[in-house]
Amino acid sequence: MTSAFLNLTMAFTLSLLGTFMFRSHLMSTLLCLEGMMLSLFVMTSTSTLNSNSMISMTIPITILVFAACEAAVGLALLVKISNTYGTDYVQNLNLLQC
Amino acid sequence: MTNYMFILSLLFLTGCLGLALKPSPIYGGFGLIVSGCIGCLMVLGFGGSFLGLMVFLIYLGGMLVVFGYTTAMATEEYPETWGSNWFIFSFFVLGLFMELVVFYLFSLNNKVELVDFDSLGDWLMYEIDDVGVMLEGGVGVAAIYSCATWMMVVAGWSLFAGIFIIIEITRD
Repeated sequence: MTSAFLNLTMAFTLSLLGTFMFRSHLMSTLLCLEGMMLSLFVMTSTSTLNSNSMISMTIPITILVFAACEAAVGLALLVKISNTYGTDYVQNLNLLQC
Repeated sequence: MTNYMFILSLLFLTGCLGLALKPSPIYGGFGLIVSGCIGCLMVLGFGGSFLGLMVFLIYLGGMLVVFGYTTAMATEEYPETWGSNWFIFSFFVLGLFMELVVFYLFSLNNKVELVDFDSLGDWLMYEIDDVGVMLEGGVGVAAIYSCATWMMVVAGWSLFAGIFIIIEITRD
C-alpha cells in the first residue's frame, strides 16, 4: 500500500463518517456522498494506471457515470424536500414523530 | 515526485475532512471543489491525462454547477464555517492529528513505502511494422466501445432511467 493510497482510503472513510453524522442540512450529506465517489474515482484510476491494465480503464468512467446518476437523484429529492418544507433541514424528515 | 504526490494526497484528505465536518453547504461545496482539483492533479501525476481531463470536465464543469445552484437554494443569512464553532474546529484539528498518527502507525510496521511510483508516465510500446508508442489512458478508455460494450450499455441505460426517475420525483 502506498502512502497516497492510504490517504485516499482515509479520505473515503472520513467522507463515510461524515455521511453518517447528523447535522442541520441535507445538502451536506449529498456533498459527503460526492466526496466518497470522488475518492473512489481517484483510487480506481490510480490503481489501474499503476497496474498498466488497459481494459480496467473503463471502470473509473463507469463509476463517474453512476456518480452522476446518484447526484442527480439526490438533488431531485433535495429540490422536492425544499419545495415542500421551504428549507432542507434533516429535522423536517421525521415523519414518524410528527 | 513522490513528495509531490504525498503532499497532494494530504491536501485531498484535508479537503475531504473539511467536507465531512459538514459546515454550511457553501463551504462544503468549496471543500469538494478543492478536493476535485487536487484529485485531478493526482490522476495527472500518475500518468492518466485523459482520465484527469475527464474528471475535471465532468466533476468540476458539470456536477458542481448543479451543486452550486442547489446550494444557493439552501442558503442562510449567517453560514456556518469551520471556525464559527469551537467544537467543529477542534474536531478539524483532531482529524488532521489522527491522520498523522495513523500514517505513523502504518509506517512503523513498514506497511507503507514512500517510493512506489515506479510506473509513472505510461507509454505503451507496440511493434507491428515499426516501433511506436501510445499513451494508454485514452486507448484504455476507448476500450469501452469495443470489448466492454455491455458496461457502456448498462451505464447509458442507468442515465436514461435516471432522467425518468428525476421527472417522476420532481413532478407535483
